Amino acid sequence: MIESLEYVHQEGTKRDHSVVVYALSTCGFCRRALGFLKNNDVDFRYVYIDNLPSEVKQTVKQELRERYRIKELFPTLILDEDKAITGFDREEWQRQLGLA
Amino acid sequence: MAESRKTVEDARRFASMVAEHQGWKLMADPEFLGTLVEGLATNHNRYGYYLCPCRDSLGSPSADEDVICPCEYAQADIEEHGHCFCALYQSPAFHARGGEPASIPERSPRRG
Repeated sequence: MIESLEYVHQEGTKRDHSVVVYALSTCGFCRRALGFLKNNDVDFRYVYIDNLPSEVKQTVKQELRERYRIKELFPTLILDEDKAITGFDREEWQRQLGLA
Repeated sequence: MAESRKTVEDARRFASMVAEHQGWKLMADPEFLGTLVEGLATNHNRYGYYLCPCRDSLGSPSADEDVICPCEYAQADIEEHGHCFCALYQSPAFHARGGEPASIPERSPRRG
C-alpha cells in the first residue's frame, strides 16, 4: 500500500538519501520537520496521512508499524527505505541526514 | 460527525481557556501555535472533538478519548519535558526560556 500512495515531491539538490516523511497536516512538529528539509535543500517526498481515506490510512499505519517496528508517532522519517526515525528533533535529523 | 463547525479563533479561545485554568502557557512561537490551533479546529470539524493535533484518530471517540485536548498525559509531559505532546501547552518556566520543543515519547498505551 505505501508504495502506491500519492506523495508530494519536494525537489532539492541534496539527494544523498532516499527521504520519505509520513506526516499529519495538523501537527506543528510535522510542519516544522518539512520546513527543515526544505530549508536544507533536501530532496524528499511526503504524504499527510490524516488526509487519506480512513481505510487506506489504517492500512498504511499498520504497514509502517510492521515493516519498521515503530510506534505510531508523527512525523515519521524513512531513510533509504530502511531506517525509521519517529518524531522531530532537529539535531537528530541533522545527524541522520548528514547535515550537521 | 462534528456537532458544530469550529473556527480557528474558537480553537484558540479554547486553548487559551485551558491554559489559563491549568496554569500553563501557550506555545510561544506564533507560527507553530497557528498550526496547532488550526489543527485543533480541523480535527473538531472532522471528528467532532478536539483531537490532539499531533495524533491521528484511531477511528472512534472511545478509542481517542485519552488524547482529546487537553490529553490525559499533558500534566505529566509538561512536568517532565516542559511541554505537552504537541507542545501547545508549556510550563511557565519552559515558556520563559523560549527553548525549541522537540517531539517527546508517546504515553498513550493505545498508540503502540
